[in-house]
Amino acid sequence: MPATRLLIAALGGEGGGVLTSWVIDAAQQAGLPAQATSVPGVAQRTGATTYYLEIWHESAAQTPVFALMPVAGDVDVVLASELLEAARMVEKGYSTSERTCLVASTHRVLTTQEKMARGDGRLDAATLMRALESGSKSRFLFDAQSTASAANAPINAVLLGALATTDMLPVNAERLRDSIARRGVAVSQNLRGFDAGLALTQPSARRPAGAPADKTVTTSVSLQEQVAGVAEEAREVARLGIARLTDYQDSRYARQYLERLQRFVDDPELQREVARNLAVRMSYEDIIRVAQLKIKSSRFERIREELGAQRHDPIEIQDFFKPGIAELADILPPRPGRRLLALAQKKNRQEKAAIAMRVKTTTVWGFLQVWWLAKLRPWRRRSFRFQREQKNIDEWLNLVGAARELSPEFAMQTAQVARVLKGYGDTYSRGEATYLRLVEDIVRPALRGEVNDDAPHLHLRNALAEILAAP
Amino acid sequence: MERTFENEIGMLRLGEGETFYGEGILAITKGLLQSGVAYVGGYQGAPVSHLLDVLVSAQDYMVEMGVHVEACSNEASAAAMLGASINYPVRGAVTWKSIVGTNVASDALSNLASPGVLGGALAVIGEDYGEGSSVIQERTYAYAMKSTLLMLDPRPNLTTMVDMVEQGFALSEACNMPALLQLRIRACHLQGSFKARNNRKPAHGPANRFSDPAEFDYQHLAHPPVTFNQETRKLRERIPAARDYIRDHALNERWTGRKTSRLGLILQGGLYNTVLRQLFELGLATEYGESDVDILALNVTYPLVTDEIVDFAADKGHVLVIEEGSPAFMEQQMLRMLVDAGASVTLHGKDFLPESGEYGGEVLAEGLGRFFTETAGDELDLAGILKRRQNLESVRQRAAGVTGMPLAPRPLGFCTGCPERPVFGAIKLAEKAVGKVHVAADIGCHAFATFPPFSMGNSILGYGMSLASNAAVAPLQARRTVAIMGDGGFWHNGVQTGVASNLYNRGDGVLIIMNNGYASATGQQFLPSTRHATGRFRTGNDIARTLKTMGVDWLKIVRTYSVGTMVKTLKQALTTTEKGLKVIIADGECMLARQRRERVRVNDALQNGRRVAKGKFGVDESVCTGDHSCIRLSGCPTLTVRPNTDPLRTDPVAHVTEECLDCGLCGEMAHAAALCPSFYRAIRIHNAGWFERALHRLRQRLIGALAEPG
Repeated sequence: MPATRLLIAALGGEGGGVLTSWVIDAAQQAGLPAQATSVPGVAQRTGATTYYLEIWHESAAQTPVFALMPVAGDVDVVLASELLEAARMVEKGYSTSERTCLVASTHRVLTTQEKMARGDGRLDAATLMRALESGSKSRFLFDAQSTASAANAPINAVLLGALATTDMLPVNAERLRDSIARRGVAVSQNLRGFDAGLALTQPSARRPAGAPADKTVTTSVSLQEQVAGVAEEAREVARLGIARLTDYQDSRYARQYLERLQRFVDDPELQREVARNLAVRMSYEDIIRVAQLKIKSSRFERIREELGAQRHDPIEIQDFFKPGIAELADILPPRPGRRLLALAQKKNRQEKAAIAMRVKTTTVWGFLQVWWLAKLRPWRRRSFRFQREQKNIDEWLNLVGAARELSPEFAMQTAQVARVLKGYGDTYSRGEATYLRLVEDIVRPALRGEVNDDAPHLHLRNALAEILAAP
Repeated sequence: MERTFENEIGMLRLGEGETFYGEGILAITKGLLQSGVAYVGGYQGAPVSHLLDVLVSAQDYMVEMGVHVEACSNEASAAAMLGASINYPVRGAVTWKSIVGTNVASDALSNLASPGVLGGALAVIGEDYGEGSSVIQERTYAYAMKSTLLMLDPRPNLTTMVDMVEQGFALSEACNMPALLQLRIRACHLQGSFKARNNRKPAHGPANRFSDPAEFDYQHLAHPPVTFNQETRKLRERIPAARDYIRDHALNERWTGRKTSRLGLILQGGLYNTVLRQLFELGLATEYGESDVDILALNVTYPLVTDEIVDFAADKGHVLVIEEGSPAFMEQQMLRMLVDAGASVTLHGKDFLPESGEYGGEVLAEGLGRFFTETAGDELDLAGILKRRQNLESVRQRAAGVTGMPLAPRPLGFCTGCPERPVFGAIKLAEKAVGKVHVAADIGCHAFATFPPFSMGNSILGYGMSLASNAAVAPLQARRTVAIMGDGGFWHNGVQTGVASNLYNRGDGVLIIMNNGYASATGQQFLPSTRHATGRFRTGNDIARTLKTMGVDWLKIVRTYSVGTMVKTLKQALTTTEKGLKVIIADGECMLARQRRERVRVNDALQNGRRVAKGKFGVDESVCTGDHSCIRLSGCPTLTVRPNTDPLRTDPVAHVTEECLDCGLCGEMAHAAALCPSFYRAIRIHNAGWFERALHRLRQRLIGALAEPG
């Protein structure tokens, strides 16, 4: 059949309908029989959607019978606006290694399911990329999102340009450009996007961007020397930990961190994971820490850049705080802290007694409100929460130590249990409860030798993975 | 409206011989004008929402053409509108989504079909069956049979679709039966072309009114004592008249096979293209529709023309009926016809094709392949069938599980900044204090709350039916029940099926009305209470006033983004000792509609140097601990996660993308749920005055001196 069968997979709101119209219009102007169909319905509301086109390569005396829907194995070109949607087209058999030219953007727009997980619910991008490779005859993979944002143009125009580079359409780039102009909507922006797409002849970004940036670490010389005592594999993490805890409290606190690490020096991998989790646990988030992070000078710079504002363009930042009795009790000395918390629990007033604050940290008064809280740092050592955290941390370290006697793997998993401790308020309490459950139901019984399990670490690892994957 | 068809409306004016390029729905509208309609109306719903949008957008041209346009309040009122054609020789067309719309319209349809029509009456129904469908999977065919309505199912190309509009009117007039013109989803959204004909002005219409009402004629009333007589006329006069017209004007199309006439296919017109494409792939037809076997495509599927069926089957050994869905009404009727005629043919249908589901390419390739393999003998070249089957099988096998992991689904959801999303977050929070409650969901954008992260809703009983569906749930539940209803559902019928019935029965329970101002899910059509309506649709009806008049005492209006207030109000409504219906009007304009207005205003201000404060939300990654509880309470597309820049933490952190519309929800949620302090709102002042700039510089200097290093 002298025709191109084209399937466009896009997300609602990306302008897939307009993209389809551009292609159909160009074909019709060229006198080629062409037809497009779609099932938008309410799918314009961010859901996945597809458009199907058939374009004959020459004008025919007879009218062809156009198909209204794609069939697995029968599609010549698949144009996908996002990595997961491209993989979905492969999984449905629309893109195949025998027939299909796959033109796809490699950026990710995460689904709600992936975002919701307590830990990391994101699908593995490398696996998706492999599916694209194995499920297409030829392919042109690129990052349409960054191309569009660099060109300050809509993504559908970029996709059209990328499609035009493949020579799979019986209409040339000039005709496509004409149909953008003929439509008459945001013409210059769309042409800019089209040309940016057209210029993408080389596969540029093959991996989704976003590798963690390196942070420069500044620590005092004496602490640097002490890191020498840490196993080499754990040294980088320990250095980061020291920097973080010095910033969080003081160098004495950082030294305590190193001392706590010492006992794991003979198991470098374990020491690294303990170092990672210990640094996070020791720098638990209280009002003082949050205040400190909110008034860092780098923060103001970052937000200004995010807004695209010049140095002297006025900007305003509003921060949302809701300190309650629990947060206040955290920074009181142990005895009054405990008493306040007990009282609040008894009267069931914990929820109501929180103050919702919207602080403008770019005004002098707003800034000072946060600033003095950050200055309470020296006071922290004497606080209720600090003492409680230190006790819990030592208990956890003892558990990890005891777990080593069972197996190195079990110790490793016991170290990871700390990952469920995160969040604020209710979320933190829920994490704490989960943590206790893992410790009491799995770790301790295993240590006491009460379970008949050859591989208790697998049991623990699965339980942990399940918790982190659950919403 | 989401789409204005101003660019496309020019296509409606095309004259004889000019080429029309555009969408199926627009082509149907052109067909209506070519048929000389006097009135049009309908109720929105995918896939025919745009038909109504086109009509409304083309208002001026409609006036020029002497056509009355009505945006009906529901499908029942649309169907009743066709009543004009009972007494007067005028053509009229209405539209709605089926099966749901036809269900609502059925009372009026029955009462329309019994007396029958003088002028052609056409209901263009979007048959929402199969892939992409958003409603229950039922076909409309049963309605045609039970009410004796014509059912047209044109081949899905614009030429045939437009021809069938014109023929549908003529047929309706020839037999006095109202007609249903069925369009499948993809046919509605099909972009193609056809040769136009001139538009015709109606002989009578708003521009050329009847001077007197019709004479009294009891036969025009579906009321005893004439109802039995009407039933007889349906069967003895109208159906035979319809059959004569269909046959004489060759509305159904028949092609003789190139290789054999011993085998034949009878199919619904709407399936023609998919069937022919598969015949081509099986090597049994050309891509231009020349088939090896006989084909009868039924552009009119009810009533079936007995002679046509018997004649087609006469010299055949096997005939396959290709009819989507169950029961197989057409197949059963044909079987009876052939038995009565003493035909020797074997009739097939559901023995080769699935009982349920859309007939897509794969399904038809499989079914047709099996049919020909078992019946063709050596009359056809069957090599292509085997190859096709192997090919499809191998594609399927390699494709399934190619990633080795389940791919996360991406269902539709609330838009960025949607005013309805906060309400469901608030319900989640209220439930934490009060306990889980039974939630009756409804039709509309708010039904997206049935998807993650909310996964909320115990039942959906139909459009505007949520409160009514709680009538017997509420008295059986320890805690109060909640019913969600959109303003669209409220005006569609919820106001009386739900509210009036609840008040009359002294019911209890909580009703949340999402007052976003439009029928949003179908493309932001105006409603009686739309505040920003334009033109003739500005009627200023008010939901609160309506409820008060009806006798609702407990009524609160809460801005949807004010999550704290909403949670408090919900808790109050769920726990107060006061009896009776408690209504919370959740007030927040549809963000898509609002942005269309706002964008213009902001761009204009920016260009003219006026001060504009543009805000967006953000997350401090160092403060975010990566627990994602904010996402579980929001689900906003712009609130996502990205890799943790903190090398000590592995879980991804929350992130607000550039598309944030500054709706305020993240801040409200941070407070209401006591979430975490990592959210901030950042505002950039464009075109600031000298004082503001000077103040900013001063503040910057002071803050810079005190800020924490790093």
